[in-house]
Parts: sequence; structure tokens; C-alpha cells
Amino acid sequence: MAVPGLENLPGRELPAGSFTIDAVENADLATVLEGPPPGGDEAHPLWAYIATQRGIDISVAELCALADFDVADGPMLGSTELTYGGPLKVGVDYEVKGEILDIVRKEGQSGTFDILTFRERLLDAEGAEAAAATNTFILPRRPA
Amino acid sequence: MTAPQVGDELPPRTIDSVSVERMKTMAVVLDDPNPIHLDPAAAKALGLGDRVINQGPTGVGYLLDMLAAAFPGATVRKVELRFLANVLAGDKVVAAGRVAAVEDDEVTCELWLDVEGGPRAISGRGALILGGS
Repeated sequence: MAVPGLENLPGRELPAGSFTIDAVENADLATVLEGPPPGGDEAHPLWAYIATQRGIDISVAELCALADFDVADGPMLGSTELTYGGPLKVGVDYEVKGEILDIVRKEGQSGTFDILTFRERLLDAEGAEAAAATNTFILPRRPA
Repeated sequence: MTAPQVGDELPPRTIDSVSVERMKTMAVVLDDPNPIHLDPAAAKALGLGDRVINQGPTGVGYLLDMLAAAFPGATVRKVELRFLANVLAGDKVVAAGRVAAVEDDEVTCELWLDVEGGPRAISGRGALILGGS
């Protein structure tokens, strides 16, 4: 079901930005995940999620506001799809572009909620897609 | 793992106790100051229990590391994951998977992250290219 007042949101481009994966933060991520220390210039593949979120020039709060949702009301990450053109690299400048794909309204046991789907991409210097993240946020609509 | 076969179980990866300190580091890496990951009172105020909640992407990272260990030298091509339940501070979680399809040098696996004694937190699939990019 379309969301009243937000019919024109799908297809909206998000403000582009850029991101460079830092070697120290890549090592910090390995520590968080209790995984092996990074070797060489290869970045952990989870940076497909992190770098798109940090690099796009709009905050999560601002993204929620586009969907007429207050981030203080608790958006939830519903799903993520990460795709890769190849390994991500530390120290490489990536351009970050994104767009809103969809917003639909659902009714569940806990009440009304919207599912916001958006896609953000990391592009290398040649414009090739190095990685992309397609995420859904679940936005619970509290009774007025 | 060599010559994977459909139905092969991947070696599970266990995190014995999800760490509050590592959540604080992850908040910096994610640039996400959401207090439900940092302050038990914030989680409680939203009715999410009395412990801080592990960041969802961290669970994705556990699964990616499990895949990398199962297929050394492979390159991940895609993961599709749904978040089903929260992982809380102190939880023991197990990242695991099973080979679902093998086609030429591409392997597709079912993936899941379970909380020991609790719910399945993440479920989905991942695809890798064997032998590098």
C-alpha cells in the first residue's frame, strides 16, 4: 500500500558524497568482530554497509525525515543486501551515490509501520560500482 | 573447504559474549551514536529490555567472517540478510551456514546468526566466487 503524502518519494536521489576507508578504523572493525587482523590494503567487506551509510551526504535522521519519520521514534534495520564488484580497498576514495527505491505501508500485530527501501553505491575513480547496499528500514507509525 | 557440495555445513563461528566495549568501538566505526547501543537506560526506555543492543551490522560482520574462514581465498559477491531479533550485551551468538548451490566457481550458502538459548537474529543467503575475484 502506498503511503499517503509520500507517493513521490520512490526514485528520489540522495545527496552524493564520498568516503575513504581508513586503515585504523579497518583494524578497529576487525577487533569489534573478533576476527583476524586485516592484511594488506584489503578492507573488510562489511565496509560496503558502513562506507555507504557514512559516505552518503545525508544522515540517518535526515533520511527518516524524508519519510516523515522522527528518528527518535526508533527506526529498525529490517534487511540489508550487499553486492560487490570486487574486494574493497583501504585508502581508496569512493564516490557514494544513492536513491530511495520504495516506501510501502503495512499493518502488523504491533500496529502500522512503513518499510523504506533505499540503495547506496560506492563508485571507484572510473565510475565502476565497487559495492552497493540496499537496505530497508522499518518505521513504526505511532498512533497520533 | 575444497570442492564444496550442496548440503555441506560451514564451520560455525562463535562469539562467546557480545561485548559492551566493542559496541562502543562499533558506534565510532559506524558513526552511529544511537544510545540503545551505549546506554542500558535508553534501551529500557524504548521497551527493549535492560541490556544494550548489539549493532545489526556487527552480526553481518560475524557472518562475513564465518564465510571467509570457510572459503579461504574466495571473494564475497553478495549477501542478502534479514534482521529478525536483537542481540544483547552478554549474549552468546553462533554464525553458521550451509551450502545451498554450487555453479562453476560460485557457491551460494544459506546463512544464519543464532542467539544461544534465544531466537534466530539474522537469516539469509550469501554468494562467493571461489579462488578470488
